Amino acid sequence: MKKIMLACGTGIATSTAVNVKLTKILNDRGYEGKYKITQFKIGEVVANSSNYDFCVATTQVPPGAKCPVIMGIPFLTGIAMEPVIEKIIVELDK
Amino acid sequence: MESILKVFQFIQGLGPSVVMPIILFIMGFLLKAGGGRALRAGLTVGVGFIGLNLVIGMMGENLGPAVQQMSERFGLSLSIIDVGWPAAAAIAFASRVGAIIIPVCLIVNIVMLLINATQTIDIDIWDYWHFAFTGALVAILTGNEGLGIAAAVLNEVIVLVLGDYTAPGLEKYNDLPGISLPHGFTTAFVPGAIVLNKIIDVIPGLNKIEFDMTKMQKRFGVFGEPILVGSVMGIIIGIVAGKDVAGVLGLGITLGAVLVLIPKMAALLMEGLVPISDAASEFISKRFKSRGKIYIGLDSAIGIGHPTTLAVSLVLVPLTIFIAVILPGNGVLPFADLAVIPWMFVLIIPIVKNNGFRALVIGFFTLLVGLWIATDLAPMITEAARRANFAIPSGADQISSICDGANPLTWAIVRLHNFGYIGTGIVALIAAALAVINRTRIVKEAKASHGA
Repeated sequence: MKKIMLACGTGIATSTAVNVKLTKILNDRGYEGKYKITQFKIGEVVANSSNYDFCVATTQVPPGAKCPVIMGIPFLTGIAMEPVIEKIIVELDK
Repeated sequence: MESILKVFQFIQGLGPSVVMPIILFIMGFLLKAGGGRALRAGLTVGVGFIGLNLVIGMMGENLGPAVQQMSERFGLSLSIIDVGWPAAAAIAFASRVGAIIIPVCLIVNIVMLLINATQTIDIDIWDYWHFAFTGALVAILTGNEGLGIAAAVLNEVIVLVLGDYTAPGLEKYNDLPGISLPHGFTTAFVPGAIVLNKIIDVIPGLNKIEFDMTKMQKRFGVFGEPILVGSVMGIIIGIVAGKDVAGVLGLGITLGAVLVLIPKMAALLMEGLVPISDAASEFISKRFKSRGKIYIGLDSAIGIGHPTTLAVSLVLVPLTIFIAVILPGNGVLPFADLAVIPWMFVLIIPIVKNNGFRALVIGFFTLLVGLWIATDLAPMITEAARRANFAIPSGADQISSICDGANPLTWAIVRLHNFGYIGTGIVALIAAALAVINRTRIVKEAKASHGA
């Protein structure tokens, strides 16, 4: 079970939208039950990062995060989503 | 005729927690989101409304009387409770303008793209509530739903132009290329920030000061978390209100809970809108992606992570409460919306070129004026809440919010409607002028890139 942090400005707005999309994409690709997503407010990321495998963020993450950070804005714009999905899959397969 | 009117009255009597699921189910169905998915989305929004009402009710029962006692003991006049943006958004979507805001705003955006009056494809459907909020207040002020819809549309036009205008700065200072932030709250502070920035430019001494605030965030980050802000404020209000130890601690944990729970309820509202916003954004972006330089319009939450934004907000949270207590003519006790202060700065940061000092100064004045605005709009917001069957906290006679209650653009549009149709005319002229200027720039840039 991989633990994914999903971070945005509030831990509500954009991360909820990305959560819904990412869950659908990952389940469609057969990862159902192999990951757990938790939403965070950007200010909480650094402090909690050591407990997670990696972080998908829709805003800048302050320096000091203890897990890999993947920029998730393409999930919102719908442009160039595939490379981001690939990065996430690489982390999931680790 | 009689029977049609009865049907409408019946629907209105159902309240937003029933009506919104029905509207969203129908919209999801029309946009081909799939019957099951549309039903689930609609019900999720209904649950969000009910949850939000519960939490706001709890907040009112506890915070309302405490604020009253506090005000009585010290002769303060803070009787207006800041219920926060999730409540404001729910009230806006539950208004009659809000019921049709999504299709209306989509059409306006498409028309503006077609006539080259904007470069932004605004796929941030959720934040259409800001336009609905302005429209709902105008409808209450004028008693005319048509004027409300007109105001919402004009608000969107102005915000889209401001979104285009600020996009290059966003690319340079926030590293967000190809994105604009046509956000009803964030862009509203752009005109004021430009003016104040120019004023600071010509004041000798002040124009030389620069702060780098990025280190602050690291050290004090934890104090910006809602759970702490709520609990600390609850304890302080409890002490000032003269409660006993049990009462003080109880209020602390309750208000901490409120600030944690309100956003969770808002998340339900958002989640319900995702299928609709997905379908709508796919619809417009498919048709306009091939055109020249286009920005994708997103929620300004994506700019919140900027270190200066976070740091400046951290300083301004306690400062806002302090200003609220001493500012003459202010009746608002800032609370739930202390969390949205970062939203104000997302576009101010590029305007002041990342100078923390200027962001602070501009933020200070903006919040000061914002509190007056929030006080002024409170009666209308309270009425809008009442019409949406929203729980008005007992002990507080009025509610307001910093987000959009303190929004200078919303305020200007609403208050110009004191003059009825003339107000609509003035706002329409300003919006049209901005759109024409923007169009001229877009056409010129398109020609230049063709020539090269």
